[in-house]
Amino acid sequence: MGNWERLVWNQRHLLLDGLVVTVEICLIAFAAAILGGLVLCLVRLYVRPLRQVAIALIEFFRATPIFVQLLWVNYVWPELFGWPGSFFTAGWVALALQSSGYLAETFRAGIEAVPRGQREAGLSAGMSHPLVFRRIVLPQVLLMVAPSLVNQFTVIVKSSTLVSVITVQDLMFQSQKIVNTWLDPIEILTATAAIYILVVFAVSALGKALADLLRRRYGLAAS
Amino acid sequence: MSSIPAISVVDVHKSFGPLAVLKGVSFDVPRGSVVSMIGASGSGKSTLLRCINHLETPSAGEIYIDGEPMHFRVAGDGQRKPRPIAEINRLRRDLGMVFQQFNLWPHMTVLGNVVEAPRRVRGLKRSEAGELALECLRRVHLLDKAGEYPARLSGGQQQRVAIARALAMQPKAMLFDEATSSLDPELTDEVLAVMRDLARDGTTMIVVTHEMRFAREVSDRVLFLHNGLIEEAGAPEEVFGAPKSERCRQFLSKYLPKYVQ
Repeated sequence: MGNWERLVWNQRHLLLDGLVVTVEICLIAFAAAILGGLVLCLVRLYVRPLRQVAIALIEFFRATPIFVQLLWVNYVWPELFGWPGSFFTAGWVALALQSSGYLAETFRAGIEAVPRGQREAGLSAGMSHPLVFRRIVLPQVLLMVAPSLVNQFTVIVKSSTLVSVITVQDLMFQSQKIVNTWLDPIEILTATAAIYILVVFAVSALGKALADLLRRRYGLAAS
Repeated sequence: MSSIPAISVVDVHKSFGPLAVLKGVSFDVPRGSVVSMIGASGSGKSTLLRCINHLETPSAGEIYIDGEPMHFRVAGDGQRKPRPIAEINRLRRDLGMVFQQFNLWPHMTVLGNVVEAPRRVRGLKRSEAGELALECLRRVHLLDKAGEYPARLSGGQQQRVAIARALAMQPKAMLFDEATSSLDPELTDEVLAVMRDLARDGTTMIVVTHEMRFAREVSDRVLFLHNGLIEEAGAPEEVFGAPKSERCRQFLSKYLPKYVQ
């Protein structure tokens, strides 16, 4: 038990610092991914001239490994665009890119799942197309894809461990630092795994509760 | 003013690619009257109804709402141009549409469904729209369901909410597109009863239906469509009692053998 105390409990402030960074980077990446996914999806569906560009971006984000994207954003973008200026920014941008590709397709499926008749009911009452989208389509899409969004968040949490490679000081980074200091990986890596499991379980449980609530309340198919 | 029909359909054609669905249909709907459209599937009656409120754009012809053209305007050079969408939306407010599949918005309560368009389109205050919505729900006997979500209602109840939703816009005319076709027989009656009440109150209505008894009892005028044309038109006792066209007779005999020999 001595090792647990020395390697884990006594290092708890480091782990906690790391966890805070992990939560921060995941939340920012998640918000950016939702926004990016929505924009990509809307461009793909409704902006005819840019449709192929949106499809190409979506496919590119989905088909490249997250590790490659991370290094690409971190080392190539500053050369090309002079941005991002920090490892932290590069980290959440890379995480957001890949998820936005997946979420764009999730949103598209959601939009296409809203029956056309519901739109027609709005239009035939004199509602404009943007009003119909905002009041009738979008709320239902968000309700429908809420469980998928939560699922994508757990993917982001797990992928976020990679940002330690570009020296973002997240939970994984701190954990490795402790390992490298004491050269004794068993307890600290086990504890780190346990913390990630707890975070992912908590997020999943939240997602399931949300899905159940939506199904009960609106009778929507939440899978 | 009473000489202008509530809805006037003038030589409307509609094609989908090479398929001509409507081939020149004209009729008037005087204010306060009920016009029923009957005919086989594919005869064009739903397409015609959808043309009336611009869910489809006619390929030729025009539809006038209270004398105002719905789809087109004549530009300075004499060319026919589509009307701006804002003007079309303004005219659409005056037409209440009821669909076969109800098309309620599942993320809103019954009250939310009925309040939505009066608030967002007519710009009524929340309290005004709420009062109006409750009055409309009372007319369809669903005041007690105001707080429910559509998924918890039966088909007949959902369709009555859809009728209340259309009524809440205080339209000049109501359009019913096979409003009972996806309902069980016992649920059909409660919806037809509401439609009868509306007709009795002097609501202008165009009803696409397969309910021949309803069409016979409630309509002022019945149109029989066949192959994109009005094959027969007249008072219900004429069309049902002594149809002139052979096709109309054949069609009716499938529904009402006792009326047609």
